[in-house]
Parts: sequence; structure tokens; C-alpha cells
Amino acid sequence: MNYLDSLEALRTQFPSYKSGVTLHNYSIKKVTKASIVMRITLLSLVILTVYGFYTFDYKDIRIIDAITQALTTFKTMFTQPRFNHFNFGQGVYQVAVTLGLTFLTTLIGAFIALFLGLFAAQNLSSTVVSNAIKSFVAVIRAIDTVLWVLIFAVAAGLGSVAAVIGMTFHTIGYLIKAYSESFEELDPGVIEALRGSGANWWQIVFQAVIPSSATSLLSWTFMRFEINYAVAVAMGAAAGAGGIGFELFMAGNHYYDLREVGLITYFILSVAIVLELVSIRLKLRLNTH
Amino acid sequence: MNLLEVTNLSKQYGHDLLALQNISFSVQNGEFVAVIGPSGAGKSTLLRCINRMIDPTDGEVVFDGVQMSKLKKNELRMQRRKIGMIFQHYNLVSRLTVIENVLHGRLGYKSTFAGIVSHYGKDEKKQAFEIIEMLGLTEQVYKRCDQLSGGQKQRVGIARALIQNPRMMLCDEPIASLDPSASKVIMDYLRNISTKLGITCLVNLHQVDVALNYADRIIGVNKGKIVYDGPPNLTPEEVYMIYGSAAGDLIFDVGGQHAS
Ligand SMILES: Nc1ncnc2c1ncn2[C@@H]1O[C@H](COP(=O)(O)OP(=O)(O)O)[C@@H](O)[C@H]1O
Ligand SMILES: [Mg+2]
Repeated sequence: MNYLDSLEALRTQFPSYKSGVTLHNYSIKKVTKASIVMRITLLSLVILTVYGFYTFDYKDIRIIDAITQALTTFKTMFTQPRFNHFNFGQGVYQVAVTLGLTFLTTLIGAFIALFLGLFAAQNLSSTVVSNAIKSFVAVIRAIDTVLWVLIFAVAAGLGSVAAVIGMTFHTIGYLIKAYSESFEELDPGVIEALRGSGANWWQIVFQAVIPSSATSLLSWTFMRFEINYAVAVAMGAAAGAGGIGFELFMAGNHYYDLREVGLITYFILSVAIVLELVSIRLKLRLNTH
Repeated sequence: MNLLEVTNLSKQYGHDLLALQNISFSVQNGEFVAVIGPSGAGKSTLLRCINRMIDPTDGEVVFDGVQMSKLKKNELRMQRRKIGMIFQHYNLVSRLTVIENVLHGRLGYKSTFAGIVSHYGKDEKKQAFEIIEMLGLTEQVYKRCDQLSGGQKQRVGIARALIQNPRMMLCDEPIASLDPSASKVIMDYLRNISTKLGITCLVNLHQVDVALNYADRIIGVNKGKIVYDGPPNLTPEEVYMIYGSAAGDLIFDVGGQHAS
């Protein structure tokens, strides 16, 4: 179906399409240009995907066999996890190293982003400063965390130092955007009220801005913490930053020990679940307090 | 002596929107003045030009013997402590408790650091509790402000302004979001503040009947100009002059809500 055909089809289906509202069937959704473009894009993607799979060069791999083998591998990994090259205590220690990397980068990042975020918020800062910080930060975010680590590795050498600096850098970029947008949601009347009573900027920030956006700040920080946890695992392998990620890399790429890979995955997963539970708890408490 | 003296005040937005044109009036110590006028007349702008939350384009405001336009940043902060402000939407920090919000009124008297860490003196806390009791909020002291009714929120707003020990209160449509009974409570408090505590009140109101009931004096504003300044016994013709074609509604709908 080409573009014009689908437009025609839409038009017959929705006679009032031109006015943008479908009146006769009481549709809740507005049929706009944007939504039509969206549907066409999605449809094209589906077609391309199917076409892609159909025309792959599979060489002499038979897809059914390949899938069965992959499933067997997964089964070995996850139904028979087993220690081999290290014991439980060492595993916990390595997870702690990874968590340490996560904590450190998130904490330093959050602290710096809190202050820069205030100056990046349109309602608390001048337009020039706010725009300058925001565009600088957009550039930082455009480059992935892993790339930042590799960039800093040029100066610091591959290892934990490059991982900490690179991860912190991207965390700052991410959180400045998140924090400043939370600050911008503050009711301007509240700032006006305090300014009108003679309070100064720092007092307004700590007495009104931060208390009002606390839940949102916390929730963004946790979000970033979870991202950093995943990155820290990857960095263990890719940048030699150590921790459970490095063990995973060794078990998978060096020893080719499927059972240990499965075990480490369970380790990483259980920590992630605990983190999620803690964050839910904290948010609830902050909301009801 | 006049507490407030406004001379030839003008405020222009953009190229051609004159929100205020040549406004002149003075207010005596302890007076209760209602500023009335249709939506968009310039009432809010007028109030905010007095404490320079909005910088006027032209003209002069003298408050408590001080020329406001001459003040530097810090001097302006000192001067603003003498002026309490009340808002239609209360403008409280809703996540904080009543007492925390009330004490915000003291921030102007504190060092930056003491303000940041909420370090309030014993006498300040004592005064806060007294004012809260006066406004009938004792049971709500430790409640978060988002758990209060509109009328209670506005009383917290009044308490926050009172703890500044102000000479004057600027009230921008204080009852426009309230039901009639809560409106009456708030207006009674404001009236008492003026009569018993001797604090001058300048109140923007949308409701003519309320203004006539409570004020010592009425200032009528239309299209940025003062069209009436006198005692609260307006004839229907004068109401028409202030409100223009919208006056019909007001005269026949006295007691209704006209929130802008
Ligand atoms: N920040 C602003 N920028 C441009 N125009 C404004 C601004 N604030 C108010 N105005 C305009 O000034 C006029 C007076 O507004 P306002 O003082 O809010 O009136 P009122 O409080 O009597 O309803 C209105 O026409 C309004 O649109
Ligand atoms: Mg107004």
C-alpha cells in the first residue's frame, strides 16, 4: 500500500478526517497528520523486519537447529549454575566492587549535577547561563557512557580510573537535564511568594525548590543508579575496571564455563532486584512523609 | 503621614501594551483599601509594582518614606520584609508543613546559611505558634500543606505574611479560589489585621459586594487607569464606569464568584 492509497483509505474510513476529528464513531483519538505518519512508519518497519529475516544469508546454518542449540545453552546456563573459578565469598566481594563503582559515580555525579542543575533551570537562572549549560550537557549526553570511558582511557589508561571519570561525566550530563527539568516544574508563585518576603536565592532553593522536587530528584537518581550498575558490570569487562563484570568476562570468554556465566548472571540479577526494591521503598516513604 | 505614595506609575509590556498608565494615589497608615476592576485591568501588575516584583516602566513608589526605585538588591530585600503578600493560589510549599511554611516569612531576616538550614530562633518559633493559634490552625501545625482545605491554606498564607511583622499587606485576589463561607473567614481576618494590628491592607478584589462590605476606600481600575478613588458607596453608574460592559453581570450577580 503506498502513501497516497493509505491516505485515501483513511479518508474513506474517516470522512471528517480533514477537520482532524472523527465525529461519527465518537473516536477518542484525534486523527492528525502526525498519527498517520506514525502508523505508516511503524508499518514500514514491520515490513522491513520481515523482509530482512527472509533475505538473510544464513550460509549452512539451519535456523531450527541453531535455535535448539541456543536454547540448550541457555538451559545449561540457568538450570545448572555452579561455582568453578571462585567461591561465594569472592562472588559477593566482586559484586561489592561493582556496586562501589556504581555508588561512587552516581554520588559524585548527583552532587555536581544538583548545583549545575540549579543554574540550568530556566526559572532559577539567567537565560544565557541556562542555555549554555543545557547545550553543553546535550553534547555530553549524545556520546554514550562507554565511549566516554574509552575517551578518558586515552589519558588515564584502561582501568578503574577511566571508568570512574567516564561514568561520572555521563551521569552529570544525564542528571543535569533530569534535575533542571524537575526544578522547572516548580510553581512560579512559590518562588514569587518567598522573593516577595525578602528571601534570597539560596534560601529559596533550599527552602522551596529542593523540598518540592525531592521525590523527582530521588527517582531520577535511582534511575541513573540502575543504569550505572549495568554500565559498571559492562565496564568490568570492557575497561578492565574489575568487579563482577570482569568475572563474567573471564567465565564467558576465557574459560567458556556456561554454568559459571549462569551463576554470575543470577548474582547480578539478584542485586538489581534488591536495588529496585530499596528504591521503591524509599520513594514510598518520601511520598507519605 | 502616608505609608504609601504612588506617583505617575506606568507599566508597559512589549511595544504597545500599557498595563498601567499614570497611576497616582496614596494610602494612609492603617487604611483598608480595595482595588477593584475587570480581569486584565492591571490590578495584579499594580500590586507587584509596589514591592518591585515587577519593575515599573515609569513613575515613582515611595513606601514608608523610601523611594523604591532607588533601592539596590539587598536594600530592596530589607524593604520587602515590611510588605506581606497574599495570593489567590496561596503559593505555599505544599510538601512542607504548616509551621515550616509560616516560618518562611522570617527568611528575609536571616543570614543565607541560617535560612538554608532552617535555623530559627526561639522567639521566632514562639511568634509563629502564636500567629498560628490566632488564625485557628493549631491542630494543623504539623500537617503538610497539601492536606489542607483552601481556606486553611490561605490562613497559612496570611500567617506567613504576618510573621514578617509587615507594615502593609498586598493581597492579590485572596478569595478568588474559595467558597463563600471560607471567603468570609479570610476577609474577616484581613479586616481584623487592619483594624486591630494597624497593618495597612491593599486588596485586589473581583467581587464588588465584598469590596463594598469590607473596605474603607475603593480604588476602581479599568484599562490601566484609575477611574474611581473614594468611599465604598458606589452608585450603579460608578460600578458601570469601572467594569464597563461587564458591569451588568456584577450588579445582578452580587455574591457570586468572579475569579479571573
Ligand atoms: N508578564 C506579562 N507580559 C505581558 N503582558 C502582561 C504580563 N502580565 C500582565 N500582562 C498584561 O497586562 C494587563 C494587566 O494584567 P493584570 O495586571 O494581570 O490584570 P488583572 O490582575 O487586573 O486581571 C493584561 O492585559 C495582561 O494581559
Ligand atoms: Mg490579577
